[in-house]
Amino acid sequence: MSTAAAFVGVTQRFGDFTAVDAIDLEIPEGKLTTLLGPSGCGKTTSLRMLAGYSQPTSGTITIHGVDSTRLPPEKRGLGMVFQSYALFPHMTVAENVAYGLKIRKVGKKETNQRVADTLDLVGLGHLSASKPKKLSGGQQQRVALARAIAIQPRLLLLDEPLSNLDARLRVQMRAEIRRIQSETGLTVVLVTHDQDEALEMSDLMVLMKSGRIMQSGAPREVFSQPANRFVADFLGYENFFTDKSGIFRTIRPEYLSLGGDKTGERLEATVVSTAYRGVDLLVTLEAVDGAGQTVRLIADVRNAAAIEPGQKTTVTADPAHLVPLENSGKE
Amino acid sequence: MRGNGTRRPVAATLAVLGYIIMIVPILFVVATAFSAGRTLRFPPEGFSLQWFEAAVTYDPFMESLVSSLYLAIGATALALLLGVPATIAIHRGRIPGRGLLEGLFLSPLIVPELVVGLALYQQLMIGLGLDNLTTLLLGHTALLLPYAVRVTGASLALADPAVEEAARGLGASPVRAFLTVTLPLLRPGIFSAGLLGFVTSFNNVPLSLLLQDREFRTLPVTMLDYVQQSYNPRIAAMATLILAATVVIAVIAERTVGFAKIFGGINR
Ligand SMILES: Nc1ncnc2c1ncn2[C@@H]1O[C@H](COP(=O)(O)OP(=O)(O)OP(=O)(O)O)[C@@H](O)[C@H]1O
Ligand SMILES: [Mg+2]
Repeated sequence: MSTAAAFVGVTQRFGDFTAVDAIDLEIPEGKLTTLLGPSGCGKTTSLRMLAGYSQPTSGTITIHGVDSTRLPPEKRGLGMVFQSYALFPHMTVAENVAYGLKIRKVGKKETNQRVADTLDLVGLGHLSASKPKKLSGGQQQRVALARAIAIQPRLLLLDEPLSNLDARLRVQMRAEIRRIQSETGLTVVLVTHDQDEALEMSDLMVLMKSGRIMQSGAPREVFSQPANRFVADFLGYENFFTDKSGIFRTIRPEYLSLGGDKTGERLEATVVSTAYRGVDLLVTLEAVDGAGQTVRLIADVRNAAAIEPGQKTTVTADPAHLVPLENSGKE
Repeated sequence: MRGNGTRRPVAATLAVLGYIIMIVPILFVVATAFSAGRTLRFPPEGFSLQWFEAAVTYDPFMESLVSSLYLAIGATALALLLGVPATIAIHRGRIPGRGLLEGLFLSPLIVPELVVGLALYQQLMIGLGLDNLTTLLLGHTALLLPYAVRVTGASLALADPAVEEAARGLGASPVRAFLTVTLPLLRPGIFSAGLLGFVTSFNNVPLSLLLQDREFRTLPVTMLDYVQQSYNPRIAAMATLILAATVVIAVIAERTVGFAKIFGGINR
């Protein structure tokens, strides 16, 4: 697998504040990579450095093996979709899409053909003569996508492309972007703070926190084997405790069972509260773990008999889904 | 609009009153311009166009009209030429102390014009020995700069900076991105600033009064001189002609960019 772009020890400082802290990252060619993390973790800053809109304080960015750290954006040949879409309001949809081709001095006939093809690809062929203001958010988003794709970019960069869309459209557009990516074979880097989006769309998922990469890998791998407490927390692992052999572990609420009739790691616990949710019941418990610490556990159980707060019970953790974590959890 | 009027009777009444106070005196002037008599009096005595003829054939009016237009166009062009790049630098650049810089460009709004005029008179005309026309042109330019900076600044603040970045990403050089994307977005703002500047310069009295001489006088100053000496409908006819021209400009402005845009820009 070849590398489309790479960050090597890239740091970005704004005054005293370090927004991106010595990250190393290889972006695989022809794949969809997501940068995922909470607000302010440095996703946009990283993407903007890759696009050439800002320059790292230190470190190197290579594109197709060439050091491009100081290259201005117009020399990089990348397609970028901004969170605000940044369409040219004084141009029609077709003129927006043709903008990059005009600069590349593509002939009129070929330009028209490529504009039409790209608009068809995003399903907007019928709106080519409209002004952006007349379009819905979803349609504007597709124009921005078409404008970036039309120049046949070496990489397609998307900064939270779906965050301004309503929930249904967002889910629909995930599949849409995935389809466009596989049809064009483009290398895509997508920034998001939505873990479902990252899990569903990525080939490579990169989790960031405070300007550092916490873990990267295929979604399945990251989801089933979070490397540290931050990643586990972010992906919805609720339970953290030290087992009898002294290893710090985590497990998702759905892999805890109550009553002690199963085999696995057991903890004696007291029910703190319950929340009935139709198909399942969320039970919050308190237990003392292998290190003698009082820990709070959340079990997501089905077909449970009536459980009352204050009741004592045994919590069993399914050993197949217990994940060891690299740090002791002291973040 | 009608909904507002019915729901807020006080505001609606005040607005109507405001219009009446502004428009009625203008109507008096317009009416007297059509008088067949020899004095400025209302109601006018008879109807004729003689005073319009008297106005357009009166050399001092026509000469000073040309001077005023010349001055207004020159000062507006200069103010835009200086003000627009300055605004862009203030809003988009990474210059330290940009608040201070913007304050500097806006300061002519606050300093009384007579003080500005006197300063220019002392420094430029006496000190540097510049002639009246140059000094007036510079004075008016300074007067119009705040409009150029404020109005174009308002439309620049409304424009998404990512739009220019998008153009760069698509391959445009900084200059090309500016010319093909940023400038077209600023056009209504620049147009409004120009219009406002033109009208402000054209109507200005204090600066022009201080810096005039016998060869170069602006129309408002000449008209002011005129009413002090003679009191006949010629002045009303001239005023009516200016009014008509202003209405034409306003209609053109409304057709091309729209008043909401023009004055929305100023109030921000
Ligand atoms: N130009 C700048 N000057 C100063 N600080 C900045 C600048 N750009 C970003 N930052 C800071 O750097 C940090 C990372 O910003 P960034 O925009 O990369 O976050 P993000 O991960 O994209 O977050 P979000 O999900 O909110 O978009 C933030 O704390 C932000 O305030
Ligand atoms: Mg961001």
